[in-house]
Amino acid sequence: MAKLRRQFNSTVFLLIIFFFNSVLRPALALVEGGEGLEEEFTEELLLKPLPDRKVLAHFHFQSSAPPSVANGRHHRLFPKAIAQLARKFQIRELELSFTQGRWNYERWGGFDPMSASNAKPPGVELWAAFDLPLNEIDHTWKNLTHALSGLFCASINFLESSTAYSAPSWGFHSNSSKLRYGALPREAVCTENLTPWLKLLPCRDKTGIALLLNRPSIYRSHYHSQRLRLISSEFTGIILEQALTVVLQPSMRSNSPASSGYGFLQPSWSINSLFGKEVVGQCVLAKTSRIFFELEKDLAFKVDKLQPLSSWNNSAFELSGIPNSNIRELNAVKNLGSSVLYVFEVSNSNDHIPLDVGIRWKIPLVWSCPRAPFHMNRYLMGSGNERGSIAISLRSTHLHEQFSKASDGCAVHAVIFQVVPWYVKVYYHTLHIFVDGKTQIISDVVRKMKISPSEDKLSPGSMELLLRFPCNIQSAALTLDFDKGFLHIDEYPPDANQGFDIPSALVTFPDFNCSRSYQLDDSIHYMSTLLSKFQEENPVQTYTEVLLVPLTTPDFSMPYNVITFTCTVLALYFGSMLNVLRRRAGEEERLERSKASEKPGLIPLLLSKLSSKLKIKGKAPESSPSLSASSSILGPKLLTKVMLVGLLAVIWNYYLKNG
Amino acid sequence: MAEISESEPLNPTPDSPDSGASSRRSTMPGTKRLMVTLSVLFPFLAGLPFLLKSTEIYRSPLPFSSIDSLSYRLLQEPPSPPCRLQVVFLRPGIGDSADRLARLISDEVDKRIEGSLTCGSCGRNYAVSVTVDSGNGGCARSGIGEGDPCFWRCGVVDSLGLRNNDEAVDEMLDAALGKGGRCMGSGVGKVYTVLVGESDAQEGVRIVVGKHRHAWVEGNVGENDAALLIANIFIKYFVNGGREEFVAQRKGEFVPVGLDGSVVLSFSLLNAEPNDWVYDWNFQKIDEVMLAPVVQALAPVANIHIESQVLYHTPKSSICNWDDKSGGNICGIGDLPFFIIEVIDRYVPSRNECPLLLQLPNGQISKTNGFISPMWGGVIVWNPPECSADSQNKPLIRRTMSPEVQSLPRMIIMDDIGKQVKYSLEAASLAENNASLGIYDASAVVREIGRYRRERAKYLSFMAEQAKTS
Repeated sequence: MAKLRRQFNSTVFLLIIFFFNSVLRPALALVEGGEGLEEEFTEELLLKPLPDRKVLAHFHFQSSAPPSVANGRHHRLFPKAIAQLARKFQIRELELSFTQGRWNYERWGGFDPMSASNAKPPGVELWAAFDLPLNEIDHTWKNLTHALSGLFCASINFLESSTAYSAPSWGFHSNSSKLRYGALPREAVCTENLTPWLKLLPCRDKTGIALLLNRPSIYRSHYHSQRLRLISSEFTGIILEQALTVVLQPSMRSNSPASSGYGFLQPSWSINSLFGKEVVGQCVLAKTSRIFFELEKDLAFKVDKLQPLSSWNNSAFELSGIPNSNIRELNAVKNLGSSVLYVFEVSNSNDHIPLDVGIRWKIPLVWSCPRAPFHMNRYLMGSGNERGSIAISLRSTHLHEQFSKASDGCAVHAVIFQVVPWYVKVYYHTLHIFVDGKTQIISDVVRKMKISPSEDKLSPGSMELLLRFPCNIQSAALTLDFDKGFLHIDEYPPDANQGFDIPSALVTFPDFNCSRSYQLDDSIHYMSTLLSKFQEENPVQTYTEVLLVPLTTPDFSMPYNVITFTCTVLALYFGSMLNVLRRRAGEEERLERSKASEKPGLIPLLLSKLSSKLKIKGKAPESSPSLSASSSILGPKLLTKVMLVGLLAVIWNYYLKNG
Repeated sequence: MAEISESEPLNPTPDSPDSGASSRRSTMPGTKRLMVTLSVLFPFLAGLPFLLKSTEIYRSPLPFSSIDSLSYRLLQEPPSPPCRLQVVFLRPGIGDSADRLARLISDEVDKRIEGSLTCGSCGRNYAVSVTVDSGNGGCARSGIGEGDPCFWRCGVVDSLGLRNNDEAVDEMLDAALGKGGRCMGSGVGKVYTVLVGESDAQEGVRIVVGKHRHAWVEGNVGENDAALLIANIFIKYFVNGGREEFVAQRKGEFVPVGLDGSVVLSFSLLNAEPNDWVYDWNFQKIDEVMLAPVVQALAPVANIHIESQVLYHTPKSSICNWDDKSGGNICGIGDLPFFIIEVIDRYVPSRNECPLLLQLPNGQISKTNGFISPMWGGVIVWNPPECSADSQNKPLIRRTMSPEVQSLPRMIIMDDIGKQVKYSLEAASLAENNASLGIYDASAVVREIGRYRRERAKYLSFMAEQAKTS
């Protein structure tokens, strides 16, 4: 092979030269035409004021490559690395998210497309569905984790281990045996993950909307989630959806005129105040480049009551910048208002006319976000290092009153999907379900159940439950007991005393659909990838908290203790040895004998010793010549001692080296 | 330790000044004390490494020495997978001639393979099997070859069959040997086949080396001559790839090869500033029309993948300065390592840095406006024609590299390479003529090898010329 390579080497370079030579040949210059479909890229940004005085910014980039045999080989806009990934691992669907912070379902919304598809659990979450025979999927998944790990500078490769991922059958997504799911709750997300993500955009963060992705403002946020979703099929080609969701706290402008009069005025903000940058033109490669400003339906309803909401400048607020158009949501439920989207075209802006979308509030307004049918919490019970319980609690938000369906037998379904690492040994038979504080018979509530118990150091335990609750319940709770396992010392992660994270559980409400459709009038004949995402029918989803389980940890400081103890012993050894070296026992005995003949009392003896010492100190300068004389006599002795010490040092060094 | 040595000279001082003769030591210090001290000190020092060992955390050592020794061993004795030389005599045999012939060939190969270093091929790890296919069902085999599906099936081809057109014979043999005759799964490794047929011509032997690890000899050759010829073919073409020199000295550049043995040629078009202009190419078509045939032709030796992408916002990483004399931005050759970090690129500079020229170390402007870094790739700077025109902010059009953008540097490259190709083709045809006059004919393998040599020569001359101009 090597010699072939060598021969081949020259060929390759000639090929390169030939190629560059040939690009300009007239015969080959007839390049246009071919397939009608082109690779496309769109960039969109959604801004939305949140009820708790924060601002949501959702960046949405979509690249698509039409179905082609050249996918993974020749690309103009679509990132080649992703296309090759999809091709090599035969990915049908993949989603990778990097999240820091926790989505606040109560305040930021739990029943809208944003929370359903963009609220993600902290850390890294990866799932992928493959188009491969069943026996190849695990192997492919492992390779995929490594590839993604390299691509995004993250420790996604930890999902390679069979203890880290699971194969949900129906609890996570639709029925699929070719799907694998893994989560790393403790993965720290930072700029080294964002940079490769941005590199997948054709304009990177150099122009267009991505220019706003200023690292300090993103990582200062209350929540940020960077997501990548890949859908690949023979009919649609490859679609890469990149979304970054940030919840920011705008700084309150002190010079706001109304702020002094009213106590609770929402902070006014603009893109510049949030990100420290302005949009100065679109990415030239983007097909569409827009900024949406969304008013939540409750807010729009309240503004409407004040003054029919038609203008961007009304009695409640004023937008900084004139929107190109506005879109209203088509709402099935009347008298609840419908959300409003103001659309700003980025293409109209340039260096001289930057686009700085923002809002200035005129009156204080309080509104709420649509909530999921149940508010979810998950927590640990019990104490000690031996056993405990996991509890999942559901608290009704009385949404069913708004969506009251058939009067009799009204029921709400909830699917719980939970993966637990093997060292938390859950006893699934201890499942208890409480509805409104009363214990229920499991078969009354659980419609469907799939449990795969964990195997020690082999696979995590996973639980998929389909629950059916009556509509009128106030709260429900599930508890599961577990034993804490023991790990080998090698298996402990750094800082094991912090505890071990159990990934978030996912609760899906299949009865509730969070799609949104919009009143797109004829003048807006464009297609927005973001709005079409919002129109997709996705069930409402809620991720629970990540649990932190303290496990029994060995005394990691033991080696340190051993070292300190032995060093103490050594110091004692060394000290006593030095003493022995210095002391002349024979001389002292001789002196003792000569003194003993005189036998003075103890106190006179001590006094005489003291006085002699004092005399020595006083006479020390005088005795220096004799000292130098004696030192010259002692020269060779000193030399041998120095040599001895040197020899010891050499031996010591030799030992250490070999040791 | 230092304290000990310091303390010693101070020690006599309390005794010396006034204690008089009584306190002055009368004897030399004994060795007993020294021995006692040392007996403590030495066990302590000897025990220290054990102490340190016992307190350190165990980490399995990395087998650096094993890795080194392995790579050294590989360099000294390259691994030689087993292979088999199968010789088929298409002539009537006599008795146990198959075994005798096998021994004869084996001896001959042994003799000639001595001292030659083979790299990547089977080297000394070969087996010889001989089949005497006398036609009419007569079939004699050496050793225990009976029933092995990799063996030559007697009666498939006769001596007359070898007299067809070489290409046809090549394909026929390939089919007869079971599509390549590779038999890789049977544990014998690659199977090389040499067929010896008879010819009507009284003298002259014709040897053809085919494309699929087989060769055939036409002519009336004696057994000893045949053994010599076969050994020659085996060593020279099958083992050593047809080159005279052995691959002992493994110098020269390698193309980085992936773990699966494939080579990826990645072409990128870099638009430094898409706000100025965006250039596009239809690489897929270029690939299909131009590169695919080359890749296909090279398929027997290398698995080449070609990919391309267009990248945007890729400013170069080195700083280039404006030069009034040449009317362009000049980049010195020293900056090239930092120019771009992609592999094979065509770089379209932005309006600010346009035209961008590369300067050779002798101060001249590179005519090719590009550079090649062996084992890495190359970059060609392509200055768009709008560069010189003082056009301001035209509406953005996606332009395609088209015939009207032929620029001078490109022409030079074309001329250079065109000339080289012409010369080398002439030389090659001359060589082929010479070869066909002689005893050896050139079939596909020989031709391919010739082509590599030519291309290597071209590449070397190109590099030399670059070095000369620079």
